[in-house]
Amino acid sequence: MGIERVQCDYVSLDETFEIGKEKYHGQQYCHIYFARLHLMRTLLYSLVPHWKPNFPVCTVLELEEGKECVIVGTLYKHMKLKPRVLDEYSKQKSVVPLVKPHNFMHSDDYLVLEDESGRVKLSGNIIPPEYVTGIVVAVLGKESGAGDFLVQDVLDAGLPPQIEFPLKSGEDKYVVLVSGLSVGSSTSNPLQFQLLIDHITGHLGDEKAQLFASKIVQVVFAGNLVEIPHRILNGQNLASEDFARMSEPIRELDILLSQIAAGLPLDIMPGPSDPANFSLPQQSLHECLFPGSSSYNTFRSCTNPHCFELDNVRFLGTSGQNVDDLDKYSDAKDKLEFMERTLRWRHLAPTAPNTLGCFPFTERDPFFIESCPHVYFVGNQDKFETRIIKGSEGQLVRLICVPKFSETGVAVMLNLRDIECHALSFTLDL
Amino acid sequence: MSNASRKRAASAVAPQPPPPKQVLMTQEEDFMDEDVFIDQTLVSEDEESLILRDIEQRHALAARLSKWTRPPLSDDYVAQSRGVVFQQLEIDYVIGESHRELLPNLSGPAAIIRIFGVTKEGHSVCCNVHGFEPYFYISCPPGMGPDDISHFHQALEGRMREANRNSNVGKFVRRIEMVQRRSIMYYQQSDSQPFLKIVVALPTMVASCRGILDRGIQLDGLGMKSFLTYESNVLFALRFMIDCNIVGGNWIEILAGKYKKIVKSLSYCQLEFDCLYSDLISHAPEGEYSKMAPFRILSFDIECAGRKGHFPEPSHDPVIQIANLVTLQGEDQPLIRNVMTLKSCSPIVGVDVMSFDTEREVLLAWRDFLREVDPDIIIGYNICKFDLPYLIERAANLKIAEFPILGRIRNSRVRVKDTTFSSRQYGTRESKEVTVEGRVQFDLLQVMQRDYKLSSYSLNSVSAHFLSEQKEDVHHSIISDLQNGTAETRRRLAVYCLKDAYLPQRLLDKLMFIYNYVEMARVTGVPISFLLSRGQSIKVLSQLLRKARQKNLVIPNVKQVGSEQGTFEGATVLEARAGFYEKPIATLDFASLYPSIMMAYNLCYCTLVTSEDARKLNIPSESLNRTPSGETFVKSNLQKGILPEILEELLTARKRAKADLKEAKDPLERAVLDGRQLALKISANSVYGFTGATIGQLPCLEISSSVTSYGRQMIEHTKKLVEDKFTTLNGYEHNAEVIYGDTDSVMVQFGVSAVEQAMNLGREAAEYISGTFTKPIKLEFEKVYYPYLLISKKRYAGLFWTKPDKFDKMDTKGIETVRRDNCLLVKNLVNDCLHKILIDRDIPGAVQYVKNAISDLLRNRMDLSLLVITKGLTKTGDDYEVKAAHVELAERMRKRDAATAPNVGDRVPYVIIKGAKGAKAYEKSEDPIYVLENNIPIDAQYYLENQISKPILRIFEPILKNASRELLHGSHTRSISISTPSNSGLWKFAKKELTCIGCKAVLGKDHHTVCSHCKGREAELYCKTVSRVSELEMHFGKLWTQCQECQGSLHQDILCTSRDCPIFYRRKKAQKEMSEAQSQLDRWSF
Repeated sequence: MGIERVQCDYVSLDETFEIGKEKYHGQQYCHIYFARLHLMRTLLYSLVPHWKPNFPVCTVLELEEGKECVIVGTLYKHMKLKPRVLDEYSKQKSVVPLVKPHNFMHSDDYLVLEDESGRVKLSGNIIPPEYVTGIVVAVLGKESGAGDFLVQDVLDAGLPPQIEFPLKSGEDKYVVLVSGLSVGSSTSNPLQFQLLIDHITGHLGDEKAQLFASKIVQVVFAGNLVEIPHRILNGQNLASEDFARMSEPIRELDILLSQIAAGLPLDIMPGPSDPANFSLPQQSLHECLFPGSSSYNTFRSCTNPHCFELDNVRFLGTSGQNVDDLDKYSDAKDKLEFMERTLRWRHLAPTAPNTLGCFPFTERDPFFIESCPHVYFVGNQDKFETRIIKGSEGQLVRLICVPKFSETGVAVMLNLRDIECHALSFTLDL
Repeated sequence: MSNASRKRAASAVAPQPPPPKQVLMTQEEDFMDEDVFIDQTLVSEDEESLILRDIEQRHALAARLSKWTRPPLSDDYVAQSRGVVFQQLEIDYVIGESHRELLPNLSGPAAIIRIFGVTKEGHSVCCNVHGFEPYFYISCPPGMGPDDISHFHQALEGRMREANRNSNVGKFVRRIEMVQRRSIMYYQQSDSQPFLKIVVALPTMVASCRGILDRGIQLDGLGMKSFLTYESNVLFALRFMIDCNIVGGNWIEILAGKYKKIVKSLSYCQLEFDCLYSDLISHAPEGEYSKMAPFRILSFDIECAGRKGHFPEPSHDPVIQIANLVTLQGEDQPLIRNVMTLKSCSPIVGVDVMSFDTEREVLLAWRDFLREVDPDIIIGYNICKFDLPYLIERAANLKIAEFPILGRIRNSRVRVKDTTFSSRQYGTRESKEVTVEGRVQFDLLQVMQRDYKLSSYSLNSVSAHFLSEQKEDVHHSIISDLQNGTAETRRRLAVYCLKDAYLPQRLLDKLMFIYNYVEMARVTGVPISFLLSRGQSIKVLSQLLRKARQKNLVIPNVKQVGSEQGTFEGATVLEARAGFYEKPIATLDFASLYPSIMMAYNLCYCTLVTSEDARKLNIPSESLNRTPSGETFVKSNLQKGILPEILEELLTARKRAKADLKEAKDPLERAVLDGRQLALKISANSVYGFTGATIGQLPCLEISSSVTSYGRQMIEHTKKLVEDKFTTLNGYEHNAEVIYGDTDSVMVQFGVSAVEQAMNLGREAAEYISGTFTKPIKLEFEKVYYPYLLISKKRYAGLFWTKPDKFDKMDTKGIETVRRDNCLLVKNLVNDCLHKILIDRDIPGAVQYVKNAISDLLRNRMDLSLLVITKGLTKTGDDYEVKAAHVELAERMRKRDAATAPNVGDRVPYVIIKGAKGAKAYEKSEDPIYVLENNIPIDAQYYLENQISKPILRIFEPILKNASRELLHGSHTRSISISTPSNSGLWKFAKKELTCIGCKAVLGKDHHTVCSHCKGREAELYCKTVSRVSELEMHFGKLWTQCQECQGSLHQDILCTSRDCPIFYRRKKAQKEMSEAQSQLDRWSF
């Protein structure tokens, strides 16, 4: 006997995140800002007539004292506490190591709006803690005598248009989202992971559980699959035992992933602790790392950020860096709010390249969100959180914070039918 | 401002105790008055009308500028019904016709003192003071009666007329009066003697008269006689200030009715009037009068379009932009921000951009701006040597005769002259002196060079140091490109130019220069402008003259003597017992040692007794004091010294200022008080130096050598007392040991291991020993060093404790490698080692750290920016006698590309590269950028031997037994890898073949990444590659975004080429490595 696993159509949309033919030839970061401003300005200009029909639109240069107008530009947040690479060279090594704050905000922080023509300091009705460097917005206001721009109102681009949600088929299909396995770290517990695998692949529980497992159509690992002690790699010559220490977690991971790949499709995304490049978009993990699992055609190594469609339901996700960075430089009531903001700003990672490593693209900005996903997830968060947000044009988005599995034992289960989701918790009472 | 840097300021200005057997301070300063005839500087009538016409033509500009004029005068000022109270900032004099109304009895040319200042409402004041006459003294030959005086007068007048034939002055020597005075030199029993006060017509005649009297004059009945003159070297303006009790920057009042409004105003000041010098009321800077008037400070910067390969020259290169920033004293935001540009420039938010089509218009607009805004103080960076002379020379080249009217006197051109300022302390510097009448120039570069010892004085590194801000540095070869671009690129340049105008103001605020310098002027009594343009001695002289005047004493103008006699034994330091002390070391300091000695032993010019007099005068021996150097001085019961009195006043005033500072709440008041106490301290310390300045105003080596000999005695005495008293015999736990003694401090190891115990013993010792000294010499206990690394004399490091529970900081002396010719690696290495040794108490860690660094260096893994050595190119190659690395490199770079090669005046950064065997060091210098781009190997051995080894061994020798063998010759020095240059000749013939990433075996056609042998290690090799790439990416991101931040723009390319910036080379390197990293990863994508 046997229960047939449910199938599902998968379309990868990662192409935009592949560096591929982009070549580095000495370019700087201004191009990506330029591309971003260009894309966003076209968009915002089309919105301004509905937002503030009676005001002229001008550039920073064209500002005149007292003239009310709308300007569009990239925000730059001046932050007093922001760590700077120059400080590494400061003359006086502080005797007492500074306590690293998890957040670098200060009440003196202020925003500056910049376009190609110049920059102007913003004051008035705009709250610095909500914004970060790199966002493009439209502001209404006027230049005050002191040379500031007194903001009256702010417009962000809002949720992007969304492809229609597929007609309800009535059939339950589940996607499992996991992040932060951190194989090889002190918090990782192989048994816990094995339980997860057995559950997904249907090797656990009674027939009911197996039936349920058979409805899982896809597993996505959102970053931090392994943890390689970094200091090992810094030295020049590795001792043989270091080789082992380094490759051991990867080998272990490969074995575990093979078990899943044998049963159902699986996507892996690189995260900050994985053997991948540092800056976003992180390129897919090399298949040579996974000689076992990569031999299955169900195994897909993807980029971070990762975008794909399952039965026409669009997913967009990252391994968490974008939201973690927002958390350092801005303020929100929860992580989901950061996620919502990135959608409204139509930018997956506004702090790249400023505080988030990023490839210096010249022609485009891959993080621009053109189309609204149905499911938007970020990995490696402290706890599982989820919410549905609605856009002004009827867009519905499921936001999910995927917790670190190695620390919480929680994976997230999402139903493609109605984008409802719940936590799958694996606790070991030892 | 941090306390630490303030301390530095103090010590940098205070005269350093001299090294033994050397001349103290040789200030080659000449105090010379210069008579300026008012009508000579003025523009002629027709030129004047030209200027007026010009103004009309540019009416629009005038309207734009007029909103920045000073607040209008209130009615009572206009009606002259109220007195005028103002803070004076500048005092000078001109020669003009004497005032008929105020001085009805006089006629002909006379010196008119001009006082420029600001009222508390912000009105500008020009006060013309009449009736003050230049004079000096000579001692009256014995037996001279009134008749003799009149004969003498005639003879002198005759000689003066001979010497000044061209002069049209009616009477040279106005009068000669007999007065009772006493010379300040040597103890004298009589109260006074007759002196002749010779009053002359014009200030310069003092010098010419002195010359005649020095050389000798034929007198009836007396024959040829020469005279020693007294106070004939006092500048006229200073003479006036002293006689009227005016000190630099104080408030002056003239009551209503005592001044006369000028008929035809000569200046642009709002209030201009004439008055008699006797009607001036000078207020001491206390209470209400210690405040600062809201004077206007202009900070400006100019940009010139240089030609490729040349530093801008006024004969060729136009001035293209002038950025200005005007701030009212005491305000934290500037009042005006504007920039004047040649050709259009896009607007800048918050900045008034004024664009003009011709350079002439730019220059004239600036002149008009200066006149309308009427700044009291002009600041900038290197304005005295570059910006101001450049503007003036440029205008002369363009034949704009009406440009250089920048001062406060109507139609009066600024005067330019070449000067060399040389002083032992500050070195010799050539500069142009531009006199802008009525406005004080305050060049921040000069101040920095004066007050701080820095490795570089570029505006960039100075702002990095004090404001912790990097400045974008646009190379002057790019400036022309920006200028020749569009309104946008010129805007870019304008923003840069504005920043350069803003930074000096920021520095001025941050380092409280206005407060400190005004207070220094008030304390020492000299005009503010003297503080920067002249050395230390005039400050002491001013105080001495003031005090002497009160006491009826006069100061002789002694012939300047050569330096051969000017040697005496300097301060000694106790032999340092080098070592690493892991027990607390208590430091006993003499508070203001040299001033205290002078006070305690009443050392002064007027208490000095010559050996001859000592015999003759029959002074009781109990009233005499023999100093250890063998001089004799009388005690204060017979004659109180003037120097001790000055010092007493300075130190009491300092105590009071410090006490007030504790009370003061208002930050501005605090700034004034802090500036004052600092000025008082510096002044007190410079008195000793004044007496030892052999080419000074009044050298007296008897005093200075006595001071140092007492100093030595005190140190020895302290050592003896400590070691005698604190012994186990006397019931103490351990025998105390003096391990080192500096000029004014003694380091004691009491043997106890707790900081608190050492502090208690230190206090006890200080109190006990102080009791044995003559007051006010006092030994103070201030701090404990624990641990303490004593390397040799004047070189030590330690943790500094003033409280028993926590150390304050790490303190080092003589070890920091602020020296310019060291690379950053040395500095970092030394600092980090000290940190590890002293704070972490981890000696093995420090050793390992050094070994790692050396190993990194030898394996060519060192960050290049750490290896860059920078030297200033002061002259061209031919002028250097010895071949120097940076000069040779500059020559080579010029051959490579003349446009970007360094010019005279630039700083040349270089690294030492591997050269042919036996190549000289100067042949192995290379441009760091070139090295990066071409992968040229560094001469690690050079760095190891010539840069690192000495400073490191110095630190470790007291700690390790075989420091040299351990650190410099261990196994870590064996693995050396040399990267192959990719541009050398042979390389062109090499055939590139892919090798296995794992084992470097040549790969066949079938493999691209690893050989079949290494196939199994693929994952691990990949991890290695990728981790390196990820590190590079992280660096790249951090570095380039930092530069975007400094630049203040996200949407524009970074142009900055500031080689002083610590991340410049790293950024360049990151750029290069990014593409390498990518190609490395690409190899895996098969």
